[in-house]
Amino acid sequence: MSNPAIETRGLTVYYGKHRGIIDVDLTVEEGEVFGFLGPNGAGKTTTQRVLLDVFPPTRGHASIFGKDCQVQGVELRKRIGYLPGELALYTNMKVREFFQMVEYLRGENGTKGHWRELADRLELDTTRKIRQLSRGNKQKVGVVTAFMNRADLLILDEPTGGLDPLIQRIVLDMVREAKADGRTVFFSSHILSEVQAVCDRVGIIRDGRLVAVHGVEELFARRMNRINLIFDLLPPPEAFQMEGVTELDRGSQSILLEVRDNLPALLAKAARYDVRDIDTHNVSLEDIFLAYYSEENGGGHA
Amino acid sequence: MLRLLVQELTFRRGAILWWGLGLCFFPLVYIAIYPSVAEEMANLADLEIYQAMGVSMGTFPDFVGSILLVFLPLVAAIYAIINGTGTLAGEEEDGRLEMLVTLPLPRWTILAAKALAFSIASFLMLAIVGVVSLLVLNGMEGDIETELTGTQLLISVLYTWPMVFAMGMLSLFLAAFCSRRRIASIIAAAVLVVGYFGSNLAGSTSVLEPFEPFFLFTYIDSSGEAVLNGQRIEDVLVFLAIGLVSFVLGVIFFQRRKLTVGAWPWQRGRIE
Repeated sequence: MSNPAIETRGLTVYYGKHRGIIDVDLTVEEGEVFGFLGPNGAGKTTTQRVLLDVFPPTRGHASIFGKDCQVQGVELRKRIGYLPGELALYTNMKVREFFQMVEYLRGENGTKGHWRELADRLELDTTRKIRQLSRGNKQKVGVVTAFMNRADLLILDEPTGGLDPLIQRIVLDMVREAKADGRTVFFSSHILSEVQAVCDRVGIIRDGRLVAVHGVEELFARRMNRINLIFDLLPPPEAFQMEGVTELDRGSQSILLEVRDNLPALLAKAARYDVRDIDTHNVSLEDIFLAYYSEENGGGHA
Repeated sequence: MLRLLVQELTFRRGAILWWGLGLCFFPLVYIAIYPSVAEEMANLADLEIYQAMGVSMGTFPDFVGSILLVFLPLVAAIYAIINGTGTLAGEEEDGRLEMLVTLPLPRWTILAAKALAFSIASFLMLAIVGVVSLLVLNGMEGDIETELTGTQLLISVLYTWPMVFAMGMLSLFLAAFCSRRRIASIIAAAVLVVGYFGSNLAGSTSVLEPFEPFFLFTYIDSSGEAVLNGQRIEDVLVFLAIGLVSFVLGVIFFQRRKLTVGAWPWQRGRIE
């Protein structure tokens, strides 16, 4: 039986008095693209840094491919490509020199010179000094660095930040290709559309706690539908008070409902009130995400 | 580690050259002006303050010692502080160290490569100064009457390296220990300044005498005798010991350091 690509148990980090992450239990299977969602300060980067042994957890345990991140970190990092969210580069170097340095420090693993293909693909001029690059081009340097050793696990923190839409699409294609090769991608972002586009599963982290983990498809199928019911004569306010249904808005002839459950019963009830028309809305991941963060829901969907 | 060392040395190419050439100011200026100030310098030896500080400029080796073996290590130690704290705490604060530690490299090798690169770079820097000193002295053979040879001058310059090494390792350790680069730099600079003034003042006031062993410059002999025959081996060993102990402490604290967090050691990993 294969080990999960990433496994954390009770992972907790405190920065002195300040909360980093609390009791994060996470499993990412080999070969999947896992989206790690959360706003700034939620704990995404902290989790990644523990996985890479930038610092140890205050308590709990993290492993990658069955090996302890803190004990066997060096061995593990040979199999990891990392793009940090706060990218810092040696600005006095030329891009090509930087890639050669990283390649040199990583040691030979049969991927020598792969950075050239990646740089061409991202239209990155490797003859320029890093300090002369725009933010987007510096981000491309980070992306190439993460992908250049064809790592078994890619940990990408906001990989498309600062990139133009065309290059964003190429980066997302690279993520898909990594998955097609059987590699694992741990993909942190708050750009929900791209998470939706490439991820198999998403974990939502809020205030340092992992509040939900779902398959993207499952999340869409299970969590929410928005239905707008049009009536000639509006039903009374209590008409659709039922388990799994929330009334979001009420117009002169329409009611907007968020439906998590009980769809057949709802439709039957709507029919009883002589519903004239039904509109269904595609709920974006963003809507779901916001629902987790709304105070009304208290994040209690986990 | 060799790969990282090569890389770290590559980063220091410019520093070796520019600091090396910058430090050549001392031999270039002071040796070149000696023939015109020789008489004046001999008279300065009569001043009470110089006698108290044990400074004599009566002969060329004395003059060279009082300038080169005081100001050269002082300025080179500033490089040691800038580099020692910058290469660790500085890189941590600007985020580059995170890139390095997420590569498959054991942490101790990162520190060892940086320490070794600093040691080699500072030695090469001083070697540039030593060679320039030798060339200047040989070039002025007819203008300066002295028993001091160019080779002796080169060696006396290189004898300042153990002190620069000690300051560099101390700075590296402080960078691994302190929460921020600024604090590490301030402490290292304080050690240097107190070490310099303390050792000078200890010669003129008995109050400071008991503390003399704690002042770094106590272990640098800037007399003409030291220029001719080199530093005392026990003084060199003191600097090497300070450097090695600082390096070991640096490794210990760097292994446990929560990078990117920048906390003090006693705050690392604490839950409140």
